[in-house]
Amino acid sequence: MNPNLNVDFVGIKFNNPVIVSSGTFGYGFELEDLIDICKLGGIITKTITLEPRHGNPQPRIAEVSSGIVNNIGLQNVGIVKFVEKYLKKIIKFDIPVIVSISGKNVCEYIKIIEILNKQDCISAVELNLSCPNLNESIICNDLDLVYNIITGIKQKTKIPLIAKLSPSYNILEIALIAQKAGVDGLTIANTYPAMVVNVDIYKKFNVMFGGLSGPSIKPISIRYVYDVYKKVDIPIIGCGGIMNGNDAIEFLASGSKLVSVGTACLISPNNLINIIEEIELILKKNKIKSINEIIGICNKK
Amino acid sequence: MPKAFDKNCEIISNDMINRNYFRLKVKTYSALNHCIPGQFFMIGIPDVFLRRPIGIYNVENDVLTFLYKLVGYGTKKLSTIKTGQLSLLGPLGNGYDLKKIENLKYVAVVGGVGIAPINFLANKLKNKGILYYGVRSKHDILDLNIFKKKNWEIIISTEDGSEGYKGYITDLLQYNFDSKHILISSGPNLMLNKILKIAVEKHISGFISFDVKMACGLGNCQGCAIRVKDEIKMVCKDGPVFKIDDISFNL
Repeated sequence: MNPNLNVDFVGIKFNNPVIVSSGTFGYGFELEDLIDICKLGGIITKTITLEPRHGNPQPRIAEVSSGIVNNIGLQNVGIVKFVEKYLKKIIKFDIPVIVSISGKNVCEYIKIIEILNKQDCISAVELNLSCPNLNESIICNDLDLVYNIITGIKQKTKIPLIAKLSPSYNILEIALIAQKAGVDGLTIANTYPAMVVNVDIYKKFNVMFGGLSGPSIKPISIRYVYDVYKKVDIPIIGCGGIMNGNDAIEFLASGSKLVSVGTACLISPNNLINIIEEIELILKKNKIKSINEIIGICNKK
Repeated sequence: MPKAFDKNCEIISNDMINRNYFRLKVKTYSALNHCIPGQFFMIGIPDVFLRRPIGIYNVENDVLTFLYKLVGYGTKKLSTIKTGQLSLLGPLGNGYDLKKIENLKYVAVVGGVGIAPINFLANKLKNKGILYYGVRSKHDILDLNIFKKKNWEIIISTEDGSEGYKGYITDLLQYNFDSKHILISSGPNLMLNKILKIAVEKHISGFISFDVKMACGLGNCQGCAIRVKDEIKMVCKDGPVFKIDDISFNL
């Protein structure tokens, strides 16, 4: 018998725990010719802001050892166009859709959520409190702002809220503040603030700032998941450098209920399907009947 | 637009042409004659994290040929792999609009490895055109047989003067170029910037192909963004071939 991969997350049923990370799967529908999107556990859209954003100038991508540093800067069409043009193209896949949003302040977040409140097809909203590539400072660095944003939005919506946190030394403190403010789930964690120096023959030493993702961050993010899981009561989406089924199982065993896959999807969208199949295979091999048996199992030892 | 595939393909050969360039031939799982000049594939290289975008040099039924320059770690690693399989994602992107070019007087202005898509284009075009081809030195001049076979006029420049005009190929365009021509161009960004300037001054229309770093090739990572008029476009998905009229300066 095939193992049961169904997971309940913030009251929503996911057919399997593998979802796509924000910003690595477009608005959610673009790759339908290349992979069977219906097979995914769910989709987190590219982060949407109140107004459209052009994003940052070049360079935007640098390959580093076992990872990528990106400096995209939340390029997106803005919430109005997203709802009008793209949302209906995503919901046809009949899998949970989590819309990632970002604002500069409480007021912007509330304006976005009021537009999303009118859409009944959204499973949850992910608050991107941790983009490292904006001119403004990272929201997660300001605990009062984190609290105010979450409580502010919570009063205005019934849509489950997930806070995407920075991989910061005080992540546990941020997680507890977010929980206190009433958030329904956490994503741990975003990319790591990083920098690349381009040493060229002209001795210009051009610097590129950005967020580091890929296998090089995986063990650090897993540790964050493990530490936070012990102390909070809300469920966690784990992410950071998941390239295969084994990586995903590591996150699940450390306390993630769902895993989101980003960089591996940029390399090949097929990796998403492969990861789901590999999880199934690993469970079968180990005679584990349901994925829920292993979630957080490392913490129970 | 032909559908892209993402599959492992068998290497037929991967040979050095000269000190900087290699030619890679792979066998795909079905005929790919629908590929359009200017389109590219993302090629997975063992032990290299991201795939590399490489333009199509030629297609004959189920044999795909790529021409690539040794640039950095990825292409150097690729040049060492002689047998086995490579993962290929493609064909990707928008190529040259053959219908718009075919019946006009076309002039191709090419720098270095930019010859790859233009070679494929010349293969598909029935008539002869004019090729302006700029390289560093005569050792960098690649196979121009297809252009010769189709009686193209070929003008070469080398930076060191070892063959043809000494200097940049764009120096020659100032005089030999007018609005009766349609321009097809591919090469380094510095050259493309100069060409755009000349094209705007002389009211010449045409198409330009960009070569930029990209991570996914599918428009998802948004790493290859350029400004086209007032919009941000992705070189991988909206390009790599763009209409000259749409491009702004200073890439």
